[in-house]
Amino acid sequence: MTKTRNLLLASAAILLAATVSAKAAPTCENGPIQIGAVSTVTGVVDFSDAPRATQAVFQQLNDAGGINGCKIEFTIADDKGDPQVAAQAARDLIDNKGVVALAGGASLLDCAVNAATYDRNDVLAVQGVGVDPLCFNAPSVAPVNVGPYTLTTAVLDYATKDLGAKKLCTFFSIIGGTQEAYAAAVARWEKISGNTITLSDMTLPLQGDLTPYLVKARDAGCDAVLTNQVEPGVVQWIKTADAQKITGINWLFLAPGYTEGVSKALADSKQPIYVGTEWEPYTEATEANADWAKTMETAGLAKTAFSQGGYMAAKVLIDTISGIEGEVTRETVTAALKEGKELTYPIAGNAYSFGDAKAHSPMQATKIMQLVDGKWTVKTKDWFVLPAAE
Amino acid sequence: MDSLFTAAVAGLSAGGAYAILGVCAIFTYRLVAVVNFTGAAIGAAGTFAMVALFELGMPLLLAVLFGVAAGALAGLAIGLVMTTWFAGSNASTKAAVTAALLVGIIAVGLRLTGGQHPHYFPEIIPGSAFRLAGVEVTWAAVTTLVLSVAFTLLTEQFLARTRTGLQLRALSQRPMAAELIGIRVRLLALGVWAVTGGVTAFALMIIAPLRSPDFASLSLLVVPALAAALIGAFSSFRAALIGGVMIGLLEGSVSAIGPVSQYRGAVPFLVILAVLLWSQRGARWDEAR
Repeated sequence: MTKTRNLLLASAAILLAATVSAKAAPTCENGPIQIGAVSTVTGVVDFSDAPRATQAVFQQLNDAGGINGCKIEFTIADDKGDPQVAAQAARDLIDNKGVVALAGGASLLDCAVNAATYDRNDVLAVQGVGVDPLCFNAPSVAPVNVGPYTLTTAVLDYATKDLGAKKLCTFFSIIGGTQEAYAAAVARWEKISGNTITLSDMTLPLQGDLTPYLVKARDAGCDAVLTNQVEPGVVQWIKTADAQKITGINWLFLAPGYTEGVSKALADSKQPIYVGTEWEPYTEATEANADWAKTMETAGLAKTAFSQGGYMAAKVLIDTISGIEGEVTRETVTAALKEGKELTYPIAGNAYSFGDAKAHSPMQATKIMQLVDGKWTVKTKDWFVLPAAE
Repeated sequence: MDSLFTAAVAGLSAGGAYAILGVCAIFTYRLVAVVNFTGAAIGAAGTFAMVALFELGMPLLLAVLFGVAAGALAGLAIGLVMTTWFAGSNASTKAAVTAALLVGIIAVGLRLTGGQHPHYFPEIIPGSAFRLAGVEVTWAAVTTLVLSVAFTLLTEQFLARTRTGLQLRALSQRPMAAELIGIRVRLLALGVWAVTGGVTAFALMIIAPLRSPDFASLSLLVVPALAAALIGAFSSFRAALIGGVMIGLLEGSVSAIGPVSQYRGAVPFLVILAVLLWSQRGARWDEAR
């Protein structure tokens, strides 16, 4: 009897609440909203800048009173770059913490290991920085970054359109199952530009001398060369080009090359070096970066490109949850993300939306930076946006 | 054919690096009977010490001297571990210990040097010496080659003609007997470790600007170096010297052959395998008979 009365009372209260605020309002009767991120923190690399920024944004929100009074509790799980640990971390977040969604993660292997788990549990991941190909090829993950594959297409397209490159060459280091993804990225560029790639080498070693490869690029007559080298590799690549006295080739790199370490290490090189960014260039104090920069400063965090990803993922989650009417649960958050509402942020070049597709690469815009006298300089004031992917 | 030659020449700078590290590996094996997996890591420690001092504003020459000293110290530290706790162990235990140490040194080194973030490596020996088959052969490559030849000849002469050399030979072949006749075994062994540390540190400083400038990559140069040492059967300096250069040239040429170029990294392993099979062929035959 009392049960029925309570139920009646509860529904009356909900009705009342609904009429008082006609606007959508999320509720959280079971305590704070649980959100998590699986990230590589210790191990060979440290990607924690991304989830820490996510945490900072949620903290800022909580300090301001939360979403309609609902606070967010955010858990960063370290996968240590180890698949087994990553799988455990995801299960812990889903089963024990009861997360409603994942946001701001940046990991070497989270998507590859856990995308299927997320899919099975109907929990979605708004990845802060998607790295492995499955981040862009799973129904349960939609990263807020452009990612190496779309960026490959975009930077090649920039070289054709703005640098006037005629003979483009690519050199890729292939880790895990990235070969198909890079090949597809190059094929997409060929389709967009109507050009064909002059030389595509997928055998770049992770370690070892690069001289044979640079000589190969020069002898093939390339006028622009793109590689997916990460930080130390970018430095080695350019130093080797200098040692071989190669001139007249535009060197194109992806977002991992866009760091202060690279700009310092290559300060005295005269080579034309270009990189594509994932978001508004983090080294620029622009209007678009203002809110992100302020949040990072308040939280005492370093302003890195990865932190932009973590920041944006948090914003996506906050805006998605704010639009939910009623209790915030895994079901309602997943449904809201799958609606595919377009969310626009100044630090990104196009609108983000999750949606219901089998694979997601929502972000399709980049800005190109050039390294001039040891300083990163913006080459494209406006966003360089790729035509929509089919 | 032309492009193959070009690619082979392009492998020369790697070859020089492998040669000097291979010769150093034999140096430690012949004199203190340790297959040293930490060789390149010790050198990397010295190199990063040099870079850190240079970044702090120290003049390059001074930084290099301190870096070499740091390499020698790092070598000494490993030597202390080996002579204190593993002096009586057999060769395979010692090798396993250095392999374990390598893993530890890389982990610590990566953290201390900022992981994958690159540092500015000053070029100690800049510029290119000459152009061959369309490839600039750098002074750095030439210097490493000259250094390995010089180190080989000096060591051979030193071992053959000096009293300390004789004592070192005694130490490596019968450590117990050497100790009993009053040779200061430990001091000599530590000296060997320090010299190897200093030489590898200097060699890596020359090589580093054109390699991936992070601690792990430099430390893992030990793999081709050990392959080179194996070609010298861990006893002949000259064979290791030539072997190191050959591996470099082979790696270079393989990268020009389309279908096999992605297996370029396997070249040192194939060389190790081939050498092992060749050196054991006698035993196999005897057994078969």
